[in-house]
Amino acid sequence: MIAFLRRNQVLLTSFFCLLFSLYILSAAARGRLRGDPIGPILLVLMRPLQIGAQETVAKLKEIRQGYVTLRGIASENERLKGRIMELEAERNQLLEVEATNRRLRDLLEFRSQLPAGSVTAAVIGNSASTWFHSFILDKGSADGVVKGMAVVSPVGVVGQVVAVTSKSAKVLLITDPHSGVDVIVQRSRARGIVSGSLDSGTILKYAKRSEDVQEGDRLITSGLDTIFPKGLLAGTVTKVRKKSFGLFQYVEVALAVDPSRIEEVLVVSAEATQAKE
Amino acid sequence: MKLSLLFLLVGFLVVLLQTTFLHLLPLGPIVPDLILVLCVYWGLNHPTVGAVLGSFLLGYSVDVFSSPVLGLNAFAMSLVFLAAYLSSRCIWIHNPLLSAAVVFFASWIKGAALILVGSLFLAAEGLWIGVLKYIFLEALVAAMLAPWVFSLLRRGQSYLEEVRMPL
Repeated sequence: MIAFLRRNQVLLTSFFCLLFSLYILSAAARGRLRGDPIGPILLVLMRPLQIGAQETVAKLKEIRQGYVTLRGIASENERLKGRIMELEAERNQLLEVEATNRRLRDLLEFRSQLPAGSVTAAVIGNSASTWFHSFILDKGSADGVVKGMAVVSPVGVVGQVVAVTSKSAKVLLITDPHSGVDVIVQRSRARGIVSGSLDSGTILKYAKRSEDVQEGDRLITSGLDTIFPKGLLAGTVTKVRKKSFGLFQYVEVALAVDPSRIEEVLVVSAEATQAKE
Repeated sequence: MKLSLLFLLVGFLVVLLQTTFLHLLPLGPIVPDLILVLCVYWGLNHPTVGAVLGSFLLGYSVDVFSSPVLGLNAFAMSLVFLAAYLSSRCIWIHNPLLSAAVVFFASWIKGAALILVGSLFLAAEGLWIGVLKYIFLEALVAAMLAPWVFSLLRRGQSYLEEVRMPL
C-alpha cells in the first residue's frame, strides 16, 4: 500500500489538487467560501513589489520620453542642444506635474460631489489573465475600503471592489463579463445592465425591444443597484441591433472610462450613496 | 532544498511579472502566460509533489489577482501540470521545439478547462467565444516564450544540482 502511494504520489497529489480546486470553486461560486487563508497573504506579500514595479514602469516611461525628446533635437547645434534639453526636461516635468495636478483636482472636485466616506486610491497592479478584467488598489480595509464598494472616476464608472485585505483591494472592472451596472438611457430613461463581454466588448443587456435606444445615447447609473451613485456616466451607445425575434435588443456600448489607462480612482461606499440619495 | 527555493522565487517573480509588466507589452488584450510555461516545465522536468502544489498555488494566485471566483485557474493549472507530467511519461521531451509544442497544447488544455469549469460554475455569457477568440494567440505567445524560459530554468536547475552533487 505504502509502496503504491509512493510510486504514484505525483498522480495522487495532482488528483487531490484538481478535486480541491473544484471544491473551492463550487464553494466560492455559491458564496459559501468562509475564509481564504492564502489570498490575503499573497496580496500583502505582493503589494510592496507591485508598488515598486509600478514606480519602475513610471520611471522607464519617463526615460523613454526623455529619449524621444532627445532624438527630436539631434540636429540642433551643441550650445542650443544643452539648453533645449534642459528646457525640454523642465517642460516635461511641468507638464507631468500639471497633468497630475489637473487629474487630482478633478478627482477632488468629484469627491466633494460624492457622499462622505469615499476613499481616493491608486492602481498598483493589473489583471494577470486575458480572460478576467480586474486591478489592485493600494488601499484596503485599514483605509475604510470594504467589499462591494463602487469604484468610480470623475469620467465615469470603473468597477466594484470584490476582495479586500488590510492594505489592498481587488476591483472587478466594468469590462469584465462577470460585472454588471444598472443603468438608464439619459434621453429615454430606458433601463438595462451594462456588462463586459469577451466576444464583443461592453454591451447593454436586458434592454427590451420596445425601449427607445439609439446610437449616441448616454448611459448613466440608475442608482437602483444601491452600489453606484445615481447619475454617473457609464458609457455611450455605439450600436443598436434589433433582431426579428427575442425579448431584448442588442446594444454595444463605448465606456466613458478606459480602465486600462486609469491611475487614480475613488472608492465609494454603498451605504453612503444610499444615505445621500 | 535549494532547488525548491529557486522554484519558489521563480514562481513569485512570474506572478509579479504577470501582474505588473507583462500587460504593458503591445499584444492587445493578450497577457503572456508565464505561469502556464512554468507549470509545464515542472510537469516535464521536475515532477514532484512540491511541483504539483506549486502549480496549484500559481493557479490560485492568478485567481486571487484576477479571477472573480477562486479555484478556476487553480484547477486549470493543476490540470496543465498533470497533462505535462503524463506526456513526459510517454515521450522524451528535451528539445526546444517540442517543448514549445507541448506548451502550445497545454495552453489549449487550460482554455478548455476554463470553458468547461467556467460554464459549470459561472454564469458568464460568451465566455467560450471569448476564450476561443484569444486562445490561439495566447497559446502561440506562450509557445514562443517556452524555449527561452525552459532554457533559463534548466540552467538554474542543473547549476544547483551540480552544486549539490560535487565530484
